Amino acid sequence: MDNSTRRLLQRLMRRIPTPLLKTTLEKWGRLTVAQRQSMDFTQPKWAVTEKLLAICEENEWTAKQITELEMIYIIDNPNQGMWYAFQLMDPEDDAHSVELMQFKEQFKSHLSELVRHVSVKIKKHTDEAVWIRIAWGDSLSRPNHLKPTYVVHYLQTPYVFVTSLTSKQKPLLSQALVLSTRYHAIKDANLSGRKLTAIRDLLMRQYQQAFPTKYPSPLAEKNHTVSNPRIEREQAGLIANRLQMACEAFGDGMLPQLQSAVYKLETKFKDHTNKTMTERDEPFKCVVKFASTNLLESLRHCASSGIASTPVTPLLSSIPLKGRNYFVITDNGPSPPSQMHASQN
Amino acid sequence: MKMSLLKPFSKLPGLNTANILLVESEEQFQQNLADTLVEETAVTVNVRLAKSLPLPMENEESRPRIDLVVFIINLTSELSFRSAEASLKYLDPGYFLGKVCFMVTNARNASVPTERLDAVRKLAASLHCPLLFAEDQTPDGVTNAAERLLTILKVAAGLVPMATALYLSNLTRCTLPPDIDQPSFD
Amino acid sequence: MATKLNLSAPSDSDLSSLADQTASSRSINRSLRVAEKERRKNEAEDPFVLALKYFSDVEAGTPLFGNDEFEKNLVLVERLAYSKGLSPEAISIMLEFAMSLRMGNAPCVRVLKCLIPTTVVPQGAVVRAVVWLGVGKIPINTQILFIKWVLTVFDLIDAKDQLRAVYGFIFSFVTDENLCPFICHLLYLLTRKESVRVFRVRKLLELQSKLGRQPFLLHLLSLYKVFCPELVTLSIPSRMRSGFRNYNSPWKSALIAVQKRNGSQVASSTSLPFTIKDKTNPRKRKHCHLELPVLSSLVNKQAQTELSSSRKVVPLVQLHSLTQLLENMHRIELPAQMGSLLGSSLALQYLDCVQDESALLRLNFWLGYALHEEFLFCGDGGGSQTSEEALQFLDKLLSSQHFLQESFSSSEAFLYKFLSVWDGSLLRPQILSLLSNIPVVPSSQIGRLLFEPLMQLFFTSSLFFKCGLMECLSNMLLKWLTWHSVYALEDDLDISLNSHTSINMTLSGFKDSVMELVHFVGRLASVGLQLEGCHSLLLSFILDFYEAVCDTFLKYGLPLVVMPPPGVFYPALFSLDPVSVDRLAFIMYRYKVNLTSAKTQEKVTEQAFHISRQTFREFNQYLVVMVNCLWNSKMFNPGMGVQLGEELLLKSNVPQYWTSFDLIHHPAFMSYAVDFHQQCWPGRKDMDFNSIKHSKPWSWYLEYLYSQGYDGLKQFVPTP
Repeated sequence: MDNSTRRLLQRLMRRIPTPLLKTTLEKWGRLTVAQRQSMDFTQPKWAVTEKLLAICEENEWTAKQITELEMIYIIDNPNQGMWYAFQLMDPEDDAHSVELMQFKEQFKSHLSELVRHVSVKIKKHTDEAVWIRIAWGDSLSRPNHLKPTYVVHYLQTPYVFVTSLTSKQKPLLSQALVLSTRYHAIKDANLSGRKLTAIRDLLMRQYQQAFPTKYPSPLAEKNHTVSNPRIEREQAGLIANRLQMACEAFGDGMLPQLQSAVYKLETKFKDHTNKTMTERDEPFKCVVKFASTNLLESLRHCASSGIASTPVTPLLSSIPLKGRNYFVITDNGPSPPSQMHASQN
Repeated sequence: MKMSLLKPFSKLPGLNTANILLVESEEQFQQNLADTLVEETAVTVNVRLAKSLPLPMENEESRPRIDLVVFIINLTSELSFRSAEASLKYLDPGYFLGKVCFMVTNARNASVPTERLDAVRKLAASLHCPLLFAEDQTPDGVTNAAERLLTILKVAAGLVPMATALYLSNLTRCTLPPDIDQPSFD
Repeated sequence: MATKLNLSAPSDSDLSSLADQTASSRSINRSLRVAEKERRKNEAEDPFVLALKYFSDVEAGTPLFGNDEFEKNLVLVERLAYSKGLSPEAISIMLEFAMSLRMGNAPCVRVLKCLIPTTVVPQGAVVRAVVWLGVGKIPINTQILFIKWVLTVFDLIDAKDQLRAVYGFIFSFVTDENLCPFICHLLYLLTRKESVRVFRVRKLLELQSKLGRQPFLLHLLSLYKVFCPELVTLSIPSRMRSGFRNYNSPWKSALIAVQKRNGSQVASSTSLPFTIKDKTNPRKRKHCHLELPVLSSLVNKQAQTELSSSRKVVPLVQLHSLTQLLENMHRIELPAQMGSLLGSSLALQYLDCVQDESALLRLNFWLGYALHEEFLFCGDGGGSQTSEEALQFLDKLLSSQHFLQESFSSSEAFLYKFLSVWDGSLLRPQILSLLSNIPVVPSSQIGRLLFEPLMQLFFTSSLFFKCGLMECLSNMLLKWLTWHSVYALEDDLDISLNSHTSINMTLSGFKDSVMELVHFVGRLASVGLQLEGCHSLLLSFILDFYEAVCDTFLKYGLPLVVMPPPGVFYPALFSLDPVSVDRLAFIMYRYKVNLTSAKTQEKVTEQAFHISRQTFREFNQYLVVMVNCLWNSKMFNPGMGVQLGEELLLKSNVPQYWTSFDLIHHPAFMSYAVDFHQQCWPGRKDMDFNSIKHSKPWSWYLEYLYSQGYDGLKQFVPTP
């Protein structure tokens, strides 16, 4: 066992919280019963690590086994770091019949054609997701297992989720993905968040959604609190209306937990009192960022409690509607298709 | 549109009945208070809840005579204060003869700027209205706040012999902000 | 020195547990000398002792990389530190090794991180380490780490006198921008009145103008201001938030773990009163600082015998009786956490008799901040305020105040602020008790500070609040009067109201305040009774108050008599329950005694004090009304307080209306009259109350009433 493998294990052990250590190691399945029992999880972590290192030495395990352990931990605890969503475009005819073995083989071969030193590990998770761990190297250095990229792809869907990918690696991964999934292109889905499940649900529409309708839904009825005949709301209509509007925009069920939404404005500055700014030719650029532990929930509450005006502005409601949380807003006119048009008011 | 003023004596009082209007822009605390207020058994208490004034015209008919108007202000929110301030002008001056009071929440919160509390005090003092402090976070606090409102409401509705709203408000009205910052640690 | 410390530290016996076991198994009969020899022999082979020896002997410049011996020894020390903690001796050695940078910076950080003391940290080691700071080779981050460590273990340092001696040296580090916050914190913990000097204040102000109003500077300055207000003219904002952050994180969990692990062993080996509670000044921790620290000093017994001879300080915690306290009065070391004084009666006794101004200042300072942060500027909007912790804290404060029989000025200042935002229900029993303890408020301030907020609360709150406030004000009056009778000086009639703050008040000033209070309560009582329909519970609390008021002259020697207002007198007189009427009679009786005695004294001594005619007139008026009404059946006679037109009374169709409120027809006594009538004339079918009116039955009837326990009535009209 070389020094880097040792460091890899030490770093991994530091990342795994003590309460999860035991179960994670059990899932790994590499340790014999005797070895597992010989480990005392009440000891400080460095002592446990020492013990595990000794066992690894004894069994002459290499980075292969350690990365296995890492994958098990990451798959169970994916909510670390930022996840970015991508969408595959223009499927070929046989794109829907790509199955796991084929994808695995193709992906590995495509990627190793592009990069000389790369270590790829693919594992199928129970929920149909294919988890790919890529340790990147380059023509000179061996794969760096300390900074792996994780990719999650749902077979037969156009969605891919990626974490810790550098801009240098991005084209390489894109190409390998496009080729092995039988698509023609891949694009940024403009959606990111700390919770993998949340952005997956949002993009793949796996949550209770709102369907815009012109008719008042029976939901409004439910929310009207009939507490006591001697309590009367003077502006009850307003409240019901607000609730309905909020529900129309965001639905009334659990919402995926997004952490932020970013609006990048590139519009003309319009303010008749400020001539110098208004007369400039270049667009006025600014970025508006909303952040919260559960952004969609917060926005819904803002709308239903009257903090934000109703009906909810399309700027906010298009987060769940379009499944994205990064928008570029420009003045009406010719603009790239991925951008959003909004007239300023 | 004609501005509709809420008037204290435009309607006849009900027998053994007191009616209170809770105005709160955040619509959080008023519901809790209302639930506790209607539990009163000695008199019939009707509660009307509003986000702000003026009240909608269409309820004009069904609305009973309002005996006490309470403005609930959450001190951590500037909006809450501004909204209450804006609502005041939709009240008939007659209400300010003892039938208006202010109830403030979150006064002990560290994030409240002293200036805002002072502004609320000045507002209440200039209108000769009582200013009550309430603990809206705890059940005990809510019960106590409701109890105190009832004490005022009963007088304002004329249910306490030998006492009128004006008489009580003379005893309880807010005085100008005391400047008690100095004796702190000297 | 080292061996002595070694003897006293349990960790050594822990680590050489094998040695101890063999030693103890060889029975206690063997001489100590032999056991000691044995022990030393074993110790010499102990790898840990060897490791320590390595670190104390290792030469400067020894290479670090590839040094297996170093690695082995350090791991040994670390392992012991994390499991059992290090003995004071080990701490000294390791700290010296680290700070001297004998093997460079890398091991220094590693060593600092594992300096978990088992018992105490020797002061000498810390002082030496501080000196190493001055040498200036240590990287800044390591310096910060070291100061953080000192802050964490501050309460475990066995004495502070040498550290205080190098106060100026430590102060010199404030100019370093990186170290400044931490040094300020350390200085804050070390500051004594003597340490506050003009040039230091100037330096801090200079830093403040450079760095801005940093909370750590403000906190240190405000402490300076407490000690020497004349040196710090700067105004300190009353709303300061957590000035010093918690720096104990790297060691905290390890320390707790070590303590936990050692807990049982220490208890069984009975070697040390091991009571470490807080690692930093409690004020700095939000939500935890209401937990009163246990009065603790970590100077253990053995060390004490040795220390007290050399340094002459005795930690308060080692004293267990008043005699011990008196013997050691001159050399008492106060604990670092002044809050812990509140929990100990002995400490309070010390505080009370020593009149140590700086101790009281420190306590007040701590208390003021604790109360403000916890109850007035809450982080979470006060949701957790009714917590058990808060209750216990206030109860402890109250019991301390009762013990000292006076309030702390900081709790007084806090109360005035709290009253202005109080909802009347939060912590009501505690707040009202605290309120009843406040010393006399000058009459110029009393209205603004007390009456205005209280009046508003009183009239908008429930009956029970009204009763509670009445009781509180009665207690307040009683305390004021008691203070007066205790502290009043004979000759100049000046009274020192508070033995510590020495606010002197003239007698007339005191009289004014009492009068204001009595009038205020009279106002509350009259209107309160009116609003609550003369509720008898409220009336009872009001009469409690007047029982104190009527006796101010005779019982408390205060030449002041204030009569109750009609709004109290008449509701009591016409009350539906006989007890209230009886109590009113008793109160009137005491007024009479007080007034007569005042009058005679006035004549005899010709003293300057004078009870106004108006008071006598009021008293006589009430007396006439009461006698006429209850005894003479002459209600509504002209010239009485209550007058009604003859026509109106006739119109009411009440027969013999003038008898309506005599002792027979008074609603409160009617049932007694009926009972008496039946007992007196058992055969009679129809009730004739007028027959009681005849002189014989009337005196029997009165006797009968008195026998029912209505002593007030009896005393009011002495039997001829």
